[in-house]
Amino acid sequence: MKTFDVIVIGAGHAGCEAAYAAARMGRRVGLCTLSDATVAHMPCNPAIGGTAKGHLVREIDALGGLMGLAIDATGIQFKLLNRSRGPAVWSPRAQADKRRYGAWVRSALDRQPGIEWIIGRAGRVLAEHGVVAGIALEDGDRLRSKAVVVTAGTFLDGLMHVGPETRPAGRAGEPASHALAESLKAHGFRRGRLKTGTPPRLDRRSIDFGKFEPAPGDPVPAPFSFMTDGIDRPQIVCHLAHTNTRVHGLVRSSIDQSPLYNGRISGVGPRYCPSLEDKIMRFPDRERHQIFLEPEGLDVDEIYLNGYSMSLPRDVQQELVRALPGLEDAVMLRPGYAIEYDFVQPTELHPTFETKRIGGLFLAGQVNGTSGYEEAAAQGLLAGINAALRVSGGEPLVLGREQAYIGVLADDLTTKGCLEPYRMFTSRAEHRLLLRIDNADLRLTACGRRIGLVSDERWARYERRRSRYERNLRRVRRTSIAVGAGDRAPAAQLLRRPEVRLGDLAATGAVELDVAAGQSHLDLSSVETEFKYAGYLARQQAAVERSRRSERQPIPPDFRYEGVPGLSREIVERLTEIRPGTLGQALRVPGVTPAAVAIIAACAARGRPQAAARGETPRRTETGGMRRPSNAAGPFATGCRATAGRA
Amino acid sequence: MYSPDDTIVAIATPPGRGGIGVVRVSGPAATDAVRAVLREPVDLPPRHATLASVKGASGCLDCVLATRFPGPASYTGEDVVELSGHGSPLLLRQLVAAVVKAGARLAEPGEFTLRAFVNGRIDLVQAEAVADLVDAVTPLQARVAFDQLEGTVTGAIREIDAALFDLVARLEASLDFPDEGYHFTTAAAVAAETQALLGRTQALLADARRGRLIREGRQVVIVGKPNVGKSTLFNRLLGAERAIVAAAPGTTRDLLAETVEIEGVPVTLVDTAGMHATANEVEAEGVTRARRALGVAAAVLLVLDGSRPLAAEDRELLRETAGRDRLLVVNKADLPARWAAEELEADGRTVTVSLRGDADLDRLRAAAADMLWGAGEPLRDTPQLSNLRHIGLVERAAQALARAAEAAAASVPEELLLADLQDARAAFEEVTGKRTSDDVLHAIFARFCIGK
Repeated sequence: MKTFDVIVIGAGHAGCEAAYAAARMGRRVGLCTLSDATVAHMPCNPAIGGTAKGHLVREIDALGGLMGLAIDATGIQFKLLNRSRGPAVWSPRAQADKRRYGAWVRSALDRQPGIEWIIGRAGRVLAEHGVVAGIALEDGDRLRSKAVVVTAGTFLDGLMHVGPETRPAGRAGEPASHALAESLKAHGFRRGRLKTGTPPRLDRRSIDFGKFEPAPGDPVPAPFSFMTDGIDRPQIVCHLAHTNTRVHGLVRSSIDQSPLYNGRISGVGPRYCPSLEDKIMRFPDRERHQIFLEPEGLDVDEIYLNGYSMSLPRDVQQELVRALPGLEDAVMLRPGYAIEYDFVQPTELHPTFETKRIGGLFLAGQVNGTSGYEEAAAQGLLAGINAALRVSGGEPLVLGREQAYIGVLADDLTTKGCLEPYRMFTSRAEHRLLLRIDNADLRLTACGRRIGLVSDERWARYERRRSRYERNLRRVRRTSIAVGAGDRAPAAQLLRRPEVRLGDLAATGAVELDVAAGQSHLDLSSVETEFKYAGYLARQQAAVERSRRSERQPIPPDFRYEGVPGLSREIVERLTEIRPGTLGQALRVPGVTPAAVAIIAACAARGRPQAAARGETPRRTETGGMRRPSNAAGPFATGCRATAGRA
Repeated sequence: MYSPDDTIVAIATPPGRGGIGVVRVSGPAATDAVRAVLREPVDLPPRHATLASVKGASGCLDCVLATRFPGPASYTGEDVVELSGHGSPLLLRQLVAAVVKAGARLAEPGEFTLRAFVNGRIDLVQAEAVADLVDAVTPLQARVAFDQLEGTVTGAIREIDAALFDLVARLEASLDFPDEGYHFTTAAAVAAETQALLGRTQALLADARRGRLIREGRQVVIVGKPNVGKSTLFNRLLGAERAIVAAAPGTTRDLLAETVEIEGVPVTLVDTAGMHATANEVEAEGVTRARRALGVAAAVLLVLDGSRPLAAEDRELLRETAGRDRLLVVNKADLPARWAAEELEADGRTVTVSLRGDADLDRLRAAAADMLWGAGEPLRDTPQLSNLRHIGLVERAAQALARAAEAAAASVPEELLLADLQDARAAFEEVTGKRTSDDVLHAIFARFCIGK
């Protein structure tokens, strides 16, 4: 029987990161996929990034993952969102050449030693005595492994809807996974049903682009990866259109043919990505909605109709497309569809993405109730890392909410669970000002290096960048600048004025900075931010320190909530299910009041026997000395937060 | 042994002997436990006081009024029975013991309120107000505590918080959905709304000063040169002959302190030795203490003798207490006046009285209350914050809003503005209960069509 260290089921964005990370960390990885033609596939929007999602990609890259490199290599239009605002909410977004993106990731995995492709359909997760033992393929083959990462996407009992047509499918043209869904059900995982959708695809050659408003990218593309100096690939132009009264009327008159509105779909869809039906029915006052025409690649004829996702019958879709000026003769290559699928409640998981029920079994990506390639990749990376660490007996890796958006993602999912597809937003990060794209490397690259993900090349580059950064901070602090007749003011103070830019000071020679060619934007913005927003950063850092006390206060894994006086039955049930590792996490469990946590704190401190030694649950604590004392630079961890105690 | 589901019992009235003592029983077995201690089976109709006698070792332990409040419409949200018995501590303890024997357990301190809080009968502010109500010394104090119990403070904070929340949601939307073609808000509107929120918060804080005054009372020192009637004033306000009054100057040598209520405000009155230069060692020590008391008191009653010309000591005290919260009490109006109160070139309130009889007492009290309140009527119908913790939180919110208002006026980017607005929100929500980033998103999705 074939044996691996780690088997990854699924080669989407989560699976690819998981397999790559585990293999880079020296594990023997089996990557099981139905078809190697859809590796890192983009079945929906052919784009990477966006607000908060761009942050996730930046962090994946800083840790040594694939996504940032892949999009830099295959992006065809780049845009830095929120450019008019401050650096904390700048977020990169790019259109991808969908086919080249998949091919790039595929070849990166092929180049990485230690990954073996398993082309087949995973049927069952095998477990012995509560610990994972491997998987069984649907054809009967059994494969052994010490860890399994399931990244099943929308395949678990997937059901596709186009008007009245309904058929089991994982994605367009790919069969659903019923056996795997049954296997997870048999293991007792709590599941739910969600829904998502995608718009019709049009033939580029049938579109009159002259009737649309061009939507170009940035003149100078901002890359995702810290490894990329610049992108000089020619950029494509997208196009903007708006819905009109004819579209709205058509949707209203055929609404009973939409499975979303005639009761055929029960799964919960994402409100931040509503279908055309929802837009028009739920917001009747809005006269028009934006639609973007986005090419799916440089040399493909498919155009993605962003903002036009629907599950109406095929002929209604065709009519709706042709109701838009410029699309009168448009040829619809594929209709839009809605898909319902099973997900596992992520409260079944530790913040390492390991399941609480079965040791060594990890779940990552859309199967955990999230949406988005970036959210999936971030989970895949963390799950792959922790699967590898489990096999080697290393300390699990848990990132804190103050350390990374990935930490916010893991904590939100495992603490709150999902009621609708989870997408990352900057508003989810309470320490948002500290989690910027310009300091993702300062926050995370040392951590990636320590666990073996960061290559020598990336590390050397990072060390140079870091020393430039620190040198530049010192230089700004030492510099004073002439203001008016004979007066001088510290540069650090001047930079707080909105109109004073570090780039200008450097250009005039007023401040001497050490800036690398190709990295000047990064070098400047990470230093400038520290001074420009010093007061805000200090306050946010103080808030982190304040919350650290409760974040560090462990709750024993076997703590009995039912023995605590004054807790309602509902709170007891919630906490018993989630088993928060710390008081801080307990406070974030929905429905748990500060008073309840105060009581728990008192009881936990009353000297109950600590069960941590048995360590059945990873407990989030901070290992001593892993953090550099904070300075004006903010909370850059040189190491990672690790968990003590593990299964 | 602890569980939120068992039945608890405790004496609900203050320690010590009183006319009546109340024993409160709460929990699923409250009614059964009470029935078990009664001599005869009685029907306990909801919210009716029923006369019953409690079994004792030999016959009747006590006659009580039993009132049953079925949950959830009860103080704790559970079944509650209150037994009003006679106020002997011994009897009450025996009554509790009997109920414990019948299946209840002794409540932990504050456990009734905790259950009320946990069962959603009261919020955190109200939970804290219960303790205040129980501790209330004066009727006005009770009134403020009662206001909190009714949730008026929570209501006021909640209103501000709701407006703040709405602003936060629109600002967050503009950050997270920059490409939606929406203008969620404008810089001018944000600046105006932030300023308005700051104003409302500061108004609440201004009322808090009032509330705190009620809750904590204030130390008021009586000063003046010897023999102007300080101790008489002290005794009059106290309504008792606490200080020795004598015609001989320098009778009071040490500090005398006593708590009184002036128009609903608990006040600690401090009587002091007359201020003058003296060779007498004991008297000199008294003057030193008087000066120290003057230094720390919240307000000053400066007593002057209207029947004698102003002395150097008077003028010095007038100078020394200028700018303080003070009331000038011009005494001995029953004797021919040697100067008119208007001649005093001093700011602040003045009242001319004769302390010889009680005729001027009401005027004196009113003037003193006036000084203590600043101005206006203490029993206004505005919510008042009387809990230090809440004042601290609202102060924190006001500071954060002040930073935000300044930043908004300078058009700083939204995410920085939000850092301060979220700080303010966090402070309010420690009073009103927390809301999460999910709630912010819900608010956005409910109002705006987001998503491409």
